[in-house]
Amino acid sequence: MFGVIHKIHGAKLSPATQTVMVVAYEKDLNVDLIMCNFAAAEHKSAAWLEVHPFGQVPYLEEDDFKLYESRAISRYLATKYADQGTKLLPDPADLKAMALVDQFISVEMSNFFPSARGITREAIFAPRLGGKTDPVALEKYQSDLKAKLDGFERILAKQNYLGGKEIGLADLYCLALGTRTESAFPDIFNDPAKPNVARWWNAISTRPSWKRVLEETK
Amino acid sequence: MSESQSILKLYGTDRSTCCQRVKVVAYEKELDLSLEAVDMMGKEHKQDAYLAKQPFGQIPYLDDNGFTLFQSRAICRYIAMKYPNQGTKLLPDASDIKAVSIFEQAINIEQADFDPNASGLTMQKLFLPMRGGKTDEEQLKKHVDGLRMKLDGFERILSKQKYLSGDEISLADLFALPYGTKVEICYPDFFHDSSRPNVRRWWDAISNRQSWKRVLVEAE
Repeated sequence: MFGVIHKIHGAKLSPATQTVMVVAYEKDLNVDLIMCNFAAAEHKSAAWLEVHPFGQVPYLEEDDFKLYESRAISRYLATKYADQGTKLLPDPADLKAMALVDQFISVEMSNFFPSARGITREAIFAPRLGGKTDPVALEKYQSDLKAKLDGFERILAKQNYLGGKEIGLADLYCLALGTRTESAFPDIFNDPAKPNVARWWNAISTRPSWKRVLEETK
Repeated sequence: MSESQSILKLYGTDRSTCCQRVKVVAYEKELDLSLEAVDMMGKEHKQDAYLAKQPFGQIPYLDDNGFTLFQSRAICRYIAMKYPNQGTKLLPDASDIKAVSIFEQAINIEQADFDPNASGLTMQKLFLPMRGGKTDEEQLKKHVDGLRMKLDGFERILSKQKYLSGDEISLADLFALPYGTKVEICYPDFFHDSSRPNVRRWWDAISNRQSWKRVLVEAE
């Protein structure tokens, strides 16, 4: 492993923070997780907003360079450390391969994230933060996700991962909210009508890097 | 059309927001697109032949000489990468890893911090009533309030630089045009709030570009 420590300002319970961590670990990087003081609303302070204009976590700090948006941080680490750890990006000169990476990252953002996040909010965050689950909304998010997983089944019937033959960034981006979704609906990725989704979910969710993230963010 | 350009076929419609996103980028890059109409009314996009190209049954997808690609933002990035030396420069230099990461940050800002509320608002206020459905006023308010809060973040960014990824326009700014325009149709002064002068400046700059005006004319 490289000696450089990558400072991630974030939170253990933050799915976006876990996303950056799993990518860092796939790339054999050391991470120093600096906890944001949510109780004191540190993420809404003037100092935080100077760095992260939307008042969110995480952000990466490297000397005087700061970067936010978990997928931008992840992509930056995957690019900078292309030559170590798991290969997560193709040669940038391969336009078609790069286009397919962008296609599947966009698939995650628009066809997985919205309903997985909705499920997470209603089933996990709302009760935890003293609010109430809206059962109608939760049901809608669940049926939305199931419909989207039909699309995933079509894709994964032709290739092992969203990243193609091997795991890629788009697959890793599904882990944080996918794990929370599975805790709310244990069979959602294990539908016999979608055997390739089941195969894929099992492969990505059992990776040592993800197990390590879950252990460290308990 | 430049001599070396292969025919780019875009399967979709002139009125679809996601097709418009690809069109505006193609026009900024001085490219011709051949729009191949998809029969939405006839549910062509839900048939097996279509699903083999776009597995979620959505429009658009691109066919570049047999190479097919879906997700409008991925299509836009592909054509910007493929034709770097013509039209407007919309991507940073690949060798400048910090500029690239700030560009990725801006791309994510549009898709994560603008699109969800802008498209949600559009669905409630415009698309649902158009399709004979009813606006859910509570959902609409959530999206309106949510987008306003996000625009406070945009104001912070745009008070320091002209566009989302720096002082030059990039794909990230153009990506906001289709739903931003719908928001403006629903709420004409949404981007002209006096508390956000830099959002106003940015919105006026991008929405008045010739490329976008051409896309709107073609959607009439």
